[in-house]
Amino acid sequence: MKPLTALLLLFPALVHAAGLEFKELIVNQAAAVDATIVTTDFPFTNTTDKPVTITKSDPGCTCLKVEVSGGKLSYQPGESGVVRTTFDVGNSTGDVEKGVAIWLDDDPKTKPSVFLKVNFHIPVLVAMEPKTLSWTIGGEAEPKTIHIKIAEGSTINILDVKAKDTFKTELKTIDKGHEYELLVTPKSTAGPDLGVIRIETDSRVAKQKTQQAFAVVRKPAVNAQTAKP
Amino acid sequence: MKAAGQLLAIGVISLAAAGGTYLVKGPPARTLQCDPATLKPDEVCLQQIAPDEAVLWVDARHRKDWEKNGLPGSALWNLDADEDMQAFEADIATRIMETPRVVVYCGDENCGLSRQVADQIRAIGLANEVSVLHGGWRALSEAGRIKD
Repeated sequence: MKPLTALLLLFPALVHAAGLEFKELIVNQAAAVDATIVTTDFPFTNTTDKPVTITKSDPGCTCLKVEVSGGKLSYQPGESGVVRTTFDVGNSTGDVEKGVAIWLDDDPKTKPSVFLKVNFHIPVLVAMEPKTLSWTIGGEAEPKTIHIKIAEGSTINILDVKAKDTFKTELKTIDKGHEYELLVTPKSTAGPDLGVIRIETDSRVAKQKTQQAFAVVRKPAVNAQTAKP
Repeated sequence: MKAAGQLLAIGVISLAAAGGTYLVKGPPARTLQCDPATLKPDEVCLQQIAPDEAVLWVDARHRKDWEKNGLPGSALWNLDADEDMQAFEADIATRIMETPRVVVYCGDENCGLSRQVADQIRAIGLANEVSVLHGGWRALSEAGRIKD
């Protein structure tokens, strides 16, 4: 009985070990600022002594497509292939994390053998920080600052600033083409108000030409989520 | 031959039992399940949102899908290249002032776009709470909240 018990205990471990060896499971992928799609390759090899079949892949997003070596799904021992992901960038900017689950052979429905991850970085050419300036109703209408930084290696000028007329704005140039400060002051804090502040730049990338931030006068927030850094 | 006969008998009995169950109980349920205990940190089940709770619903699908069968009163915010992000952002910011609880939904449970949109709404810093609806549009549809 003992050898049989040992074999039964060993069996799940052997099944679990059966699989494909990927060169990398996580890829950090920098995208061009005007990229519309980004492809990422995950090369793999069947390092086991039996054939392995990819039965299913799930990119977890309609924005990510997955292809396996031109549709070839079964790999003999020693054979190699590539899982290729294609990310539809759309209007994404900044850091975007996407994952692909891969099921092999008899993987349970809820437990894929492989999980691949891509950390995309789509450059933000003009960064406004913070995104929202806040004043409390009845509080002091003091000026607050939005810091505007241009991505390293780029020179982008601010051509125009537009804001709701209940807020006063003043643009200060710290380093022309690289760094600015925008001072915003509400004309009154007597009641609630929300203003959209838009800056127009000469960025060559159309989707990043205009940037916006917000100025709000409101009751103190009880549980407001803070903006991500 | 005897074994084959037994196998056939077992097969027939199994089929009859399965057929009987189908007739009595109906087809297998394929409705979406949502277990709050297994949700991702920023997800929410539809049953966790009270029907009368003030929620700003945000549809992260394509514009044509939102126009066709979006939740009545919902706002649109997707990441399609031909859309105006600033317009989405300004619209949501204005509406959050009235309704600071935001729930984003996508096509189904397998749509990472809603999470990306939720991140962008959080980045505005005006909402009290921003969640992603587990099951997305399908959950709303199965609950009868959407007339397709």
